Amino acid sequence: MLEAHVIQTKGFKNVDGGFQVAVRCPYYRGIWASLLEGAALTVDGQTFAGEDVRWTLGDSSYTAEALADAVDDRWAFEEPAILTAAKPGGLEPGLHDVEVAITWRWSYIPVEMQPTTSISRRKVVLVS
Amino acid sequence: MIDLGVSLYSYGGDFLVTMTLEDCLADVADMGATGVEILADTHVAGYPNPTSAWVDEWHALVARHRLTPTCYSSWLDTRLRKGRTLTVDEAVPILVRDLELAHRLGFTIVRPKLGVVSLDLVPDPVWRETVERALPKAEQYGIRIAPEIHAPTALRSKIVDDYLDLARQTSHFGLLIDTGIFQNAERGGTHSDSRFVFGDPDPELAARVAREMSKPMNEDPALLADLVPYVVHVHAKFWEMTDDLDDPHVPYDAIVNVLVESGYRGSLSSEYEGARDLYRASDQVRRQHVMLRRLLAAHAALTPAS
Repeated sequence: MLEAHVIQTKGFKNVDGGFQVAVRCPYYRGIWASLLEGAALTVDGQTFAGEDVRWTLGDSSYTAEALADAVDDRWAFEEPAILTAAKPGGLEPGLHDVEVAITWRWSYIPVEMQPTTSISRRKVVLVS
Repeated sequence: MIDLGVSLYSYGGDFLVTMTLEDCLADVADMGATGVEILADTHVAGYPNPTSAWVDEWHALVARHRLTPTCYSSWLDTRLRKGRTLTVDEAVPILVRDLELAHRLGFTIVRPKLGVVSLDLVPDPVWRETVERALPKAEQYGIRIAPEIHAPTALRSKIVDDYLDLARQTSHFGLLIDTGIFQNAERGGTHSDSRFVFGDPDPELAARVAREMSKPMNEDPALLADLVPYVVHVHAKFWEMTDDLDDPHVPYDAIVNVLVESGYRGSLSSEYEGARDLYRASDQVRRQHVMLRRLLAAHAALTPAS
């Protein structure tokens, strides 16, 4: 099961070379990986975007640029994506103000109104 | 005769948060509905390649709750590749893949949501040849393919005329009507944890499109009469049911009248699209079903549950 909020409590942690946050699909359906154009993570006012955010979808890991060729992979509705930001030393333990902006293409919206970006924000606690 | 169904889209805020797939199906059955519609990309775990165990479980759940799979809603993502739209050769296998999975799950209608090429939502022209090349598979499986007529597309429009041109040539292609086109009163916005920004259009265009998307279209339900022979499925769209069990935005009395009198045979598949507060959808859909049952009963047109 998932939390209602796009930004999940579970999965927010430091890893080698940075930190990661688990994000459930902000759409009402899963998204083909090649439709994704990237993510921007802003933590306590510091933004990580473009190639500084690595995507993990299921067992596969992508740079933002590599997503464009992943026409057979999906961000499944039932499985949060893991976004890993490059930040040597990671984040301090404690409460952080996290904003996640996800950008992707919708085929059934006029191209003049594309791509779409969803922006979610939540205070999330990082243990270590 | 008309049966009552529910699109699991209605449980958008609750699905996988407060309700599993089985909880949703049990809820549909509990309110006495018989048809169930899914969004393939949402409700099929592991889409488009669910495990055989998942497929077996789906059949067991549908049987346990005595539900009939109606419409399998899918997407033809014509912008799948960055920088260009799909060719027919690329689109056909996508539609065929959905027809195969829909059949495997027992569905008899497939709605491919088509990519668009204009501000007034003209579908990508690849749709016609893509559907024609997939038709043999639809015929083999006894499936009807039905694009959705959704606001702001008018019933009298080139878009619908183009669909009808094909629908007159094969019984395996028809129309899915979303009753949001009959919305006749202003409604509030939608609610979400996330804010959505649609592109970077000039502010005037953004304001115009926002107005177009939320204003009542006020289509006349009487216009459905001539189309009913080609209508294979209906999304009973709603945003809010009052405590008096009325829909303040969509004129269901007129809609049910014209569907019954024109001989519509199929589902009214509830599509709740109102506030996504947890635990709200089950209550709202039940309210709508009380209203729809009352309207259908007046015509003795409700298919009894088996």
